[in-house]
Amino acid sequence: MTAGPAPSATPLVSLRDIWKVFESVTVLRGIDLDIYPGTVLALLGGNGSGKSTIVKIISGAYRPTAGRIEIRGVPANLSQPSDAHARGIYMVPQEPHIFPNLSVLENLTVGLKGDPAANARRAREVAKEIGLDADFASTGGDLSIASQQLVEIVRGLLRNAQVLILDEPTSSLTRREVANLAAQMRRLKARGIGLLFISHRLNEVLELTDYTQVLRDGRIVLSAPSAELTTDMLVEAMLPADFAAPAEEAARGDRAAGKGPVLSVRHLSSRVFQDVTFDVHPGEVVGISGVVGSGRTELAEAIYGIDPHVTGEVHVAGRPVPRRTPQISQAIGLSYVPEDRHAHGIFLALPSAQTVTAGLLSLGRARFMRIHEEAGLTQGFIDRLRIKLSSPMQMARTLSGGNQQKVVLAKTLAPGPRVIILDEPTRGIDARARQDVYRTIRELAADGVGVVVISSEVGEIAEVSDRVMVMKRGRLSALPAGVKGVEQISAAIFAANGGAPA
Amino acid sequence: MKAASLLRTWEFMLAVVLVLELIVLGLINPSFLNVENLLFSTSDFAHVIIAAVGLTLIIMTGGIDISGVSVMGLASIVLGLAFIAGAPIGLAAAIALAVGIAAGAFNGAVIASTDVNPLIVTLATLFLYAGIATGLPTLLDMLGFVAYGAGGFEAYQYEGITGLPKSFTWIGSGRIGWVPMPLVVVLVFAAVATFLMLRTRFGRYLKLIGVSPAVAHFTGVPIRRTLVAVYAINGFTAAVAGLVLTAYLGSARSDLGSEALLSIITAVVLGGSSIYGGEGSVLGTLLAGFVIGFMRQGLLALGITSDVVPVIIGGLLVGSVALRIGLAKLNTRLANRAAFAAERMAVGGNGASLSNGDPH
Amino acid sequence: MKRIVKSRELLVLALLVAMILAVSTVNAAVLRPITLINIVNSSLFLMLIAIGQMFVVLTRGIDVSVGAIAGLAAVIFGLALNAGFPLPLAMLAALVTGLACGSFNAAGIVVFGVPPIIMTLGALGAYRGLMRVLTGGSWIESIPQSIKSLAVTRYQSVPLMVWAIAVLVVVLAVLLSRIKSVRNFYAVGDNREGAYLLGINVRATEFTAYALAGLFSGAAAIVFTGQIGFVPMQTGSGQELKAIAAVVLGGVGLMGGTGSIWSAVIGALFLTAIDSMMIFLKVPGSWNNAVAGAVLLAVVVFDYLIRRTVRNRQLAMRAAEMHRAEEDHDRALQPREAAR
Repeated sequence: MTAGPAPSATPLVSLRDIWKVFESVTVLRGIDLDIYPGTVLALLGGNGSGKSTIVKIISGAYRPTAGRIEIRGVPANLSQPSDAHARGIYMVPQEPHIFPNLSVLENLTVGLKGDPAANARRAREVAKEIGLDADFASTGGDLSIASQQLVEIVRGLLRNAQVLILDEPTSSLTRREVANLAAQMRRLKARGIGLLFISHRLNEVLELTDYTQVLRDGRIVLSAPSAELTTDMLVEAMLPADFAAPAEEAARGDRAAGKGPVLSVRHLSSRVFQDVTFDVHPGEVVGISGVVGSGRTELAEAIYGIDPHVTGEVHVAGRPVPRRTPQISQAIGLSYVPEDRHAHGIFLALPSAQTVTAGLLSLGRARFMRIHEEAGLTQGFIDRLRIKLSSPMQMARTLSGGNQQKVVLAKTLAPGPRVIILDEPTRGIDARARQDVYRTIRELAADGVGVVVISSEVGEIAEVSDRVMVMKRGRLSALPAGVKGVEQISAAIFAANGGAPA
Repeated sequence: MKAASLLRTWEFMLAVVLVLELIVLGLINPSFLNVENLLFSTSDFAHVIIAAVGLTLIIMTGGIDISGVSVMGLASIVLGLAFIAGAPIGLAAAIALAVGIAAGAFNGAVIASTDVNPLIVTLATLFLYAGIATGLPTLLDMLGFVAYGAGGFEAYQYEGITGLPKSFTWIGSGRIGWVPMPLVVVLVFAAVATFLMLRTRFGRYLKLIGVSPAVAHFTGVPIRRTLVAVYAINGFTAAVAGLVLTAYLGSARSDLGSEALLSIITAVVLGGSSIYGGEGSVLGTLLAGFVIGFMRQGLLALGITSDVVPVIIGGLLVGSVALRIGLAKLNTRLANRAAFAAERMAVGGNGASLSNGDPH
Repeated sequence: MKRIVKSRELLVLALLVAMILAVSTVNAAVLRPITLINIVNSSLFLMLIAIGQMFVVLTRGIDVSVGAIAGLAAVIFGLALNAGFPLPLAMLAALVTGLACGSFNAAGIVVFGVPPIIMTLGALGAYRGLMRVLTGGSWIESIPQSIKSLAVTRYQSVPLMVWAIAVLVVVLAVLLSRIKSVRNFYAVGDNREGAYLLGINVRATEFTAYALAGLFSGAAAIVFTGQIGFVPMQTGSGQELKAIAAVVLGGVGLMGGTGSIWSAVIGALFLTAIDSMMIFLKVPGSWNNAVAGAVLLAVVVFDYLIRRTVRNRQLAMRAAEMHRAEEDHDRALQPREAAR
C-alpha cells in the first residue's frame, strides 16, 4: 500500500492557516493542508464541518478571510476560478455544472481558450480516454449523473489540471458507476495528478485514498496515511469532542410499549426511495442513519409533504393523512426540522421572534397578530432552549449557527407537535449547542412526543436513539432491538454489500 | 433590531428630505408654502401614492406588478361605460373595482402557478388590460349595448367620458375640512396597509414569502393563496387610484395613468422596499411618494419643463437602489471583519493580516 | 415534447403559415404577394429590436428600455440629418447613441449590481424624457427625403430596406455561428454559476448583451425613420414588450440557453403578421395591444409547461436508472446470500 506522501516532494497545493468568515460566522479556523502529485488525499468531515468551503477556496470560488495558499511552493492569490484553472487546479463539484441546453461537446469545451476545432478534437480524445460514452451532439440535459461527473473530469483534464478536486463524487452514483470512477481515479493518479477526494463514505475513503484528513468544526483533527486507519478511527475522529458513550437506559424503550404508534409510514415510495415502512411510538426516539445521497432527507420531506410525487400512506396518531402538505402536517401535529437550515429552516433577514412564531400562523383562526404574545412566546423558548441573543428582535442572520438551529427548533416546537422529524439537527453547530439539542430531544420524548432523528453522524444516532434504522440507497432497514452502538451502526452503514445486517 | 432601527433611519431620512425639499422650494418661491396650495397640489399625484401602496405589498413578497397603470385606465373606462350604459354611479364604481380585483387576481394566479418572472407576466397583462380598456367601447357596440347619445360607445374610445355626477367627482375635488378628498383616500389606504403589514397574519405571510419562499413553504405558509390575494389587493388599489384620478379630472379615460408607472415604482423603491422582497414599509412609500410628487410640482413651479422630470425620477430610482446595494455590501464586509477579529482574539491568535477578499 | 423545444423556430414558422392560410379562407387578399411583403417590411423595426433583446434574454436578463433607446436614437438621427450631417455620419450617430444607452444600462446592472428591472425601467423614463428635452416635445419633421429612398425604392417589388435587413440578418447569423464567444451568452444563461466556475467572464458577457441590445435599437431607429420619414415622440413606445414576446415566441427560453437569431426574426414576423391579420379580419385596431399582451402571456405559460414536462421526464428517467441498478445488484447478491 502507498504510505503517506513523500516528504521530499513539493506539494502541488498547500494551505497554511486558512480562515474563513461568512455572515459573521467563522467556518474555517486555521486550516493546513497539502496535496502531493500522484496521491489521493481524502478530506472527511460531518455536515457543516467546512469541507466545501475549503474546496471552494482551493478552486478560487471563495477568497479566504486570512491565510496563505501556495501552489508548487509559490504563494498564489486566487480571486476567481479561472485563476485556479490557470494554475492547474480543477474542481469537480458535487452537483456537476451541466449546461442542459448546450450540446455535450459544448459542455466539454465551454470556457476553453483557443481554437474551437482543436479544442473539440482534444475533448473527444480525452473523453474517450476517460470512458465518457455519450452522443456528443445530444444536449447536456440528457446526460446521466455519472456521465455528468465524467464531463467535469474531462473539463479538468482539458485544462491540463495537475490537481483534481472531487467533491462527494459518489453520493448519487450507482455501484457500477462508482467502480468506474474508482478506476478512472487510479489512472489519473498514475499520470501524476494530485487528487483531493471528499466523501462521507468511509469505506470508499479507505479504499481509494492514500492520506486522510478529518475536519471537525472548521479544524483539522486527524491527519494520517489511509492505510493506517480503520472506519472506527474515522468515526471517532468525526465525533464531537464532548461525545461520551451513552449510558444504558433500559427503562426508556419500555415506556413506549403498549401504546399505538404516533407515526406510521406504510409502503412509501418516491423516485429516490422505495417501499419504506416503519412506526414511531409516543415517547420514542428513532434514529435513521445513512450517508449523503441515501435518500434519508427525501424520505423526511416526503413524510412532511414537501415532495408531492410520492406513493404510500402516512398515519399520524392512527388517522391517515389524506393529502400531504406542510400546512396539513403542521395542523395534525407533524413537524420537521429541515437539513438545510439557511435554505429551508430560518428566515435569516427577520428578527428571530418572527421565525419562532412563523409555524403557528397557519394553525389558529387568528387573523391578527398579537405582537406582545409573540415576544412572550419567544422568550419562553429562549429560556427553555438556552438561546443566546440580545433580544427576541435580534436578526436571525447575526446569530451563531447553534443559536440559529435553536430558533428553528423553537419554530418547530411552537405548534406543540405529536411527532417531530429532525434532519441533521446538529449540523455545523458547536458542542454546547449540540448538548442543548440532545437534551431537548430527550425532554420531548419524556413528554410523550414521537421523535425521529436523521443523521449521518453515527455518534449522534447512537447517543440519542432508542431504536436505530439505516437508510441505504433508498431502502430503510431496522437494526435489531437493542443494537445501537457506534460500531454496529457504522458496520451496517458502511458494509460493502447491501441489505440489512443479520 | 439593528435592521429595524436602520429602517427607521431610512424613513426618517425621507422625512428630512421631504422637509428640506419643501423649505428649498419655499425659499425659491414663497407662494409654494401656502398650506392650502400645498395640500391641494397633492391631488395631482394622489393616484401615484395609492397605487404605490398596493405595489409595496407585492414587492414585499419579492414580486412585482407593472400592470397596475393599465388597471387604472381599465377601471376608469369601465366606470364611464357602465355609467353611460345607464348604471347608477355607485354600481358603476362597484363594477370598476370588481374588474380591478379580477385583473389583479388573474396576475396572481398566473404568477403563483408558474415559475414565470412576475415582471414578464405583468408586462403581458399591462398590454392586455390596456388593450381591453381601449377596445372595450367597440366591443360593447358590437355586442349591441345601447349608449346614451349618438355614435354609440365607440365615440368614447379616444375622448374621455364626461358628465359624471357630482356625488362621484366629489371624491376628486371635494374636501373634508382642510384636507382634499384624494389625500384622505391616500391616508386611509396607507393606514390600512400599514395595519395589514404590522398587525395581521396576512401581512406577516407577505414578509415571510419575501424573505424566503422556500423557508415559508417548509413552514406551512399558504404561498399560492397569499400571492393571489396580494395581487388582487393591488388590482383593487390600482382601480381605486384610477377612480380617484377620474373623479379629479372629471373624465373617464382608458389611457388614464399610463404615465404614472415610473413614479409609482420609484415611490416604492425610494421608500425603502427591496426589489428582492422582505424589506420595506408603507410609511416609506408614502413619504417617498410625497417627495417625488412635490419635487415634480416644485420643478414645474421653477419653470423647468415637465420633460426633465422623468429623467430626474429615473435617476432617483436607479441612484437610490445603487446606494442601498452599496451600503448593504459595506455592512456585510464590516461585520465579517469584526467577527473574524473577535474569533482570532478568542483563540489567542497573532492577528494575521486580513486579505481584502469579500464573500460571494 | 423535446423535439418541439429543439425546433421551436420551425414550429412557429409553421404556425405562422397556418395562421395566414386560415385567415385566407376568410379574406383571400391576405395571400397577395404585396401583403406578405408588407408584413415583412413592417416587421423590420421590431425584428432589429428583438435581435438586440435576444442577447439579453439569452443571459436570463431583461431590458425594458429598448423601445426608448430606439426613440432616443431616432431623435439623434433626425437631429443629425436636419443639422446637415451626411447620411452615413447620421447613421453612425444613431448607432453610437444606441450603444451608449445600452452600455449605460449595462454599467448600472453589471458594475453597480442594480437589478435589471429597476435599471432599465429607470432608463426607460430617462431616455423618453431626454427625447422630449432634445426636441422640445415636438416631432422632428422636414427630414431630408433622400433617406426615405431606401424604404421606397423597390427591387423585384421588394423595398431595398427589406433586402438590406435580409442580408444583415444572414450575415449576422453566419457571424454568430462562427464567433466562439457568442456561445458565452448561452452558457451564462443556461448555468450562470457553472459559466463563472469554468472561467467564462460572466460580467463581460452580460455587459456585452445589454450594450448589443442598445446597438440594435439604434439600428432599428434608422429603419424606423427611413420608413416613416419623421420622428414622432411615441417612436419605439411599447416595442419593448413586443421585442420580449417575439424572442420568447421564437424559442429563446426565459430560463436562458436556447434560441437563436432566427427566434427573433420569426417571432417578429409572427407578431407583425398578427397585427395584419387583425386588419384582414376587420378587428378594430384598438384591440392590438390586448392581442399582443395575450400572445405574450400564452407564450410564456406554454414555455413554462414545456420546461416542466421535460424536467419531470428527466427526473423520472434518472430514478428508473438508479432503481434498475439496485435490482441488478440485488440479483447478483442473492446466490451469495443463499450460500451462507
